[in-house]
Amino acid sequence: MRKDSETLALCDRFFDAIEQGDYETVEACYAPEAVVWHSHDCLYQPRADNLAMLKSGMKTHKKMEYADRRIRIFEGGFVQQHRLFVTRDNGFVGQMDVCFVAYVRDGRLSRVYEYFDTGQREKFLGPVA
Amino acid sequence: MTEGDVRDLCNRFFDAYENRRVDVLAELYAPDIVIWHNVFGRDTTGEENLSKLPASYLGQRRRTYNDRRINVFEDGFVIQYQLNGVQHSGHKGALWICIVGRCRDGKLTRIDEYLDSGKFPAWRGPQAPVAAAAS
Repeated sequence: MRKDSETLALCDRFFDAIEQGDYETVEACYAPEAVVWHSHDCLYQPRADNLAMLKSGMKTHKKMEYADRRIRIFEGGFVQQHRLFVTRDNGFVGQMDVCFVAYVRDGRLSRVYEYFDTGQREKFLGPVA
Repeated sequence: MTEGDVRDLCNRFFDAYENRRVDVLAELYAPDIVIWHNVFGRDTTGEENLSKLPASYLGQRRRTYNDRRINVFEDGFVIQYQLNGVQHSGHKGALWICIVGRCRDGKLTRIDEYLDSGKFPAWRGPQAPVAAAAS
């Protein structure tokens, strides 16, 4: 039986938690077997590595915002399109359009696919010194 | 549209792309379709998209849209796939792409395409012309 409202709530909880620096909630959104695939290296990143990366980002960046969230629920998961804004230490606000496809099991993120364009690295990271 | 209708539309769209059937694509596009590519970051019309396809197809000897994973929602679909291309040089390249499609009355009304242009050099290969773009 589809539980669209629960899947939608999971999606919002996850991205809101990153924005708010709430690492415990972020971690709780991941199933034990969670893996995260990224389009730049086409590799599945293990749960612990991805969480460590998120934790570091949440500590390091002044602000992270997932704007213009467009969410659609499907059987077994959801897709969210958003524009990620990251405010860096030097005040530069980087941005990147991302498509986040998530497969959900027992109310948690089990497999995630993230698509973005590294060709626009400078727009996200800022001018290279 | 039923889930089956949406899935069928999605597959017809990609089959037409693969077979270079611009005429079929024109039938599948709603008159007000908007096509957005993350690489360019702007909306384009169906007419603009279709007009550029013949030249785009010249870039590769063959393209196939493989490993299609389609998930359907109320008014559209998300498809994750691997685009395999054979350049005129014989070089074989691949791109990993995700498209979110919206549909209405059996036609596509919006396409949002996400790919990594950082992979274009590997897609084209060392000797291939620069003009090749993917979609």
